[in-house]
Amino acid sequence: MLSLKSFKKAAFTGCLCMAVSLPLFAADAPSSKQYSGQTITVLVPPWGTLPKDMVDRFKGDTGISINMQTLGWDEIRAKLITSLVAGISPADVVELDWSWVGQFGAAGWFTPLDKMVSAELWSDIPSRKIFEYKSQTLAVPYNNDFRLMIINKAHFDHAGIHQPPKTLDKLLADAKALKASGASKYPIALPLSATEGTATAWYLLTKAYGGDLFDKNSKPLFDAAGSPGYKALQFIEQALKDGLIDPASTGMTDVQVQDAFKAGQYSIDLAGWPGNLSTYNDKEKSKIAGVVSGALVPSSTGASNSFGLVEGLAIPKKSEHKEAAAEFIKWWMKADNQTQVFNELSDLPTRTSVLNALIQQKKLYDGAVLLEQIKGVGPLFAGGAPEWYPELSRAASTAINQLAKGQVSVGDAAKQIADQTVKAMNR
Amino acid sequence: MRKNLTARIATAVGVILVLIWSLAPLYWGLMSSLTPATDIANPGFHLFPPTITLDHYAKLLGSTSLAQGNITDSVWPQFKQAGINSLITSLLATVVTVLLAAFGAYAFVRLRFPGRNALFGLIVATMAIPAYTVMIPLYRLLVGLNLIDTYVGITLIYVSAFLPLALWLMRSVYESMPLSLEEAAWLDGAGRMYTLVRIVLPLAAPGLIAAAILTFLNAWGQFMIPLTFSPSLSTKPLTVLIAEFVSRNYVDYGLMNAAGMLAIIPPLLVVVFLNKYLVSGLMAGSVK
Amino acid sequence: MTNLLHPGRFISPKQSEANIGLMLALPIALVMFLLVFFPVCVTLWDSLHRVAPMRAGTPFIGLKHYWDLFHDDNVRAAALNTSVYVVFTVLLETVFGVFVAVLLNTVKVGRKWLLGAVILPWALPPIVNALIWLWIYNPNYGVLNNFLLSTGVLNERHVWMNDRFVALMLISLVHVWRMMPLTAVIVLAALQSIPHSLYEAAELDGAGNWGKFRTITLPLIASAVAIALTQSTLFAFNLFDEAWVLSGSSLDTRTVLIQVYMSAFQDMQFSYGMALSVIVMFLSLAISLFYVLRIYRETRFD
Repeated sequence: MLSLKSFKKAAFTGCLCMAVSLPLFAADAPSSKQYSGQTITVLVPPWGTLPKDMVDRFKGDTGISINMQTLGWDEIRAKLITSLVAGISPADVVELDWSWVGQFGAAGWFTPLDKMVSAELWSDIPSRKIFEYKSQTLAVPYNNDFRLMIINKAHFDHAGIHQPPKTLDKLLADAKALKASGASKYPIALPLSATEGTATAWYLLTKAYGGDLFDKNSKPLFDAAGSPGYKALQFIEQALKDGLIDPASTGMTDVQVQDAFKAGQYSIDLAGWPGNLSTYNDKEKSKIAGVVSGALVPSSTGASNSFGLVEGLAIPKKSEHKEAAAEFIKWWMKADNQTQVFNELSDLPTRTSVLNALIQQKKLYDGAVLLEQIKGVGPLFAGGAPEWYPELSRAASTAINQLAKGQVSVGDAAKQIADQTVKAMNR
Repeated sequence: MRKNLTARIATAVGVILVLIWSLAPLYWGLMSSLTPATDIANPGFHLFPPTITLDHYAKLLGSTSLAQGNITDSVWPQFKQAGINSLITSLLATVVTVLLAAFGAYAFVRLRFPGRNALFGLIVATMAIPAYTVMIPLYRLLVGLNLIDTYVGITLIYVSAFLPLALWLMRSVYESMPLSLEEAAWLDGAGRMYTLVRIVLPLAAPGLIAAAILTFLNAWGQFMIPLTFSPSLSTKPLTVLIAEFVSRNYVDYGLMNAAGMLAIIPPLLVVVFLNKYLVSGLMAGSVK
Repeated sequence: MTNLLHPGRFISPKQSEANIGLMLALPIALVMFLLVFFPVCVTLWDSLHRVAPMRAGTPFIGLKHYWDLFHDDNVRAAALNTSVYVVFTVLLETVFGVFVAVLLNTVKVGRKWLLGAVILPWALPPIVNALIWLWIYNPNYGVLNNFLLSTGVLNERHVWMNDRFVALMLISLVHVWRMMPLTAVIVLAALQSIPHSLYEAAELDGAGNWGKFRTITLPLIASAVAIALTQSTLFAFNLFDEAWVLSGSSLDTRTVLIQVYMSAFQDMQFSYGMALSVIVMFLSLAISLFYVLRIYRETRFD
């Protein structure tokens, strides 16, 4: 029998559900078919390359065909620069990384997208701030990336360790135990080639040691012995000496290291991508499905720190299909599409509502850890990525690459990075 | 020359070593492109892959492809376009270069005009100028002329790069042709241009073919220049596309090797069928 | 002589010849001027200014770039690497090339096929060569490690690119693989023009194989070797594809050309890259001049 009370309760819950899902639906207006027949080019890294059925569905919804071009992350920036300096648009929709905003914003190459997306949708995407340059939003975030630690539980169990390490010292000790137990020859997975992934790993380690790279006035802090950045370099050197990191890492990018982790070669993905939690657990794509778990980045200060590496989709000013491109980006941002992208490409959704829905439906592996880590995620640079960020990144990855090959000492590496970054700042 | 047994054995050993040195890496690339992905990860040295698969080629030429473990759109359209671009730019560069060299070298050899030797010396000297000295201003020049990412722009650059060698080649070809042939034609009342086109050029055909082959091979193999000057698929050649493949399919080694094998096909055909002209071209260029 | 341009008007044969000559040479001069001479001058001029597309203005800074270059550790490392490449590749290409040329000259049966096989590495796109060798050198899956492991020479997989010297050698090896055919063919041409009678005379005098080689072959191919040396050196200076594909931006294998590319197109410091390329251009021209003068002197003795 339906009492009034239970009816009110039901009605109330019903309204609540609708209210919660309303933003989901309100922002998802049906796609327009007015640009049907056009073809747009999309330039993205491998984890942004939409699977065929999504491309086909987009064509069905809007009539626009997509020419999908994939390039490694490090190559996209070079490609963007060459094309845009020449005054050509390399594609209609391009990847824009958080770290490029300062440099590309200054050059004025991208169309502001503030008006393109409805205010309601913007409020659902907090990482929009990262793509603001002089109060114009240059890209719509599509990948809510940050860093956390991912471990191979089977290896840990084999070595008799039941808790992921909470400090870096414990991490080294655990790695040695893992190696001794025969679980893996090189327990720690870390990219060490002269590419962006190596620099990002170093930033993460610096944060793990509880510090920042630069002070308020952009003065380097890491070239002083004992500083967190310096200690992070020492960590890398020591781990290599103890045989805890694969010497072949000097030739591997972050993606190649992850692939080896997926094959079960390493035990600890130190600078792991949250999206990979589901990829690693996908039986069709990974050999270690089911034994992977996320863990907080170890920290020497108690609270785990990480930082955001959000990626967005932008439209170059020189594109000749700006409106069709905008349709594509809006389509990508639909709740069901963000969810599918997460399921197939492991890009963490940038819409808070979608993220929450996934957590509620328990579709997010180790959702609790992710949420906990997100609490410690902050921007690497308080004022946004500076114009000289690319030089910093390259100086860092080159110096670490040399350090890993035993060609320079920690002190020299730190000094090299500091000198080259300061030189870039003063150019 | 009498050859004793030791000499013959030494020669045979030498030939085998040279063959292995030249061909083994290519053989290995071919075998890898036919090895299934699962076998590639297996350690152990096999001269011949235990199983052969055409999977990698299918991913390149087929209707769908693979990335991140998902089925994605076929890469064949990109491959096809890049192949067409390579073909067009190489052919255009070859035709223009050979035409200019055929007529220009004749002028430098047979016709006297003010500044002839100086100009020739200057042009040949540009072969010593490294490509990158001119790359950056050339880049800005082409940006200003709106020739970036156009066939015309790339062809012009290739022509300026390969013309000196072609000129040098044709000059030595013309120099080795006796003047008496032309003089006979002049006595009959033929004009200079007529002589050049109807009599000299046909005789110089082997040299022209050699120059064409050299230019074509050089243009086909270009990487650094199109990396900068052909950023988009409208003019991007096969060499740049393949390098991008490596960055995109970082662990799909079979696919990488397959892509490489496909790019090798035109130069391979040239070497196999036009060997004679190619060698005469290389050797003529060395005689100065 | 018929006046092509103005029938009926009399022009001296010499003038007519000059006209046609200029007409034929003009397009060439135009192309070379526009695409080579002019840019070189621009490079020289711009290297004295600060030119960067992301920043406004191009102020004159004199020789500051050159000063910075000499004190730039990256440039120093790249210069060292390029020097190593030049020395090793030229040495190996020349020695190996002469050997192969002699071999080709000796072989009568199937020479065409042998020649084809030798030329093949040179004819292929350099980037594809580099990718094939990248695959061979791969620490985990490459045939080099597999082969050495299976024959017991190695106990475990070796990461070839980690040692700077080894990395430089391996990259040089790939370059030599590609360029040796050029030397071989150039020297082969010279070998084929040596008359048999010279060898027969030496045999009658009792000279053995090595004696014949030393007293007849070597001197007569000297000028061809010199030409090959010039080509090898110039190409080694321009080394880009192999180092880029095998080792990327790593500092320990970076060549000067890669540094120019990185300065100009990754750092967006155009004028800095141009200054570097100017230095190398002068070095390159100096080396070529050195070789050309030597060849001139050599051929005088022929």
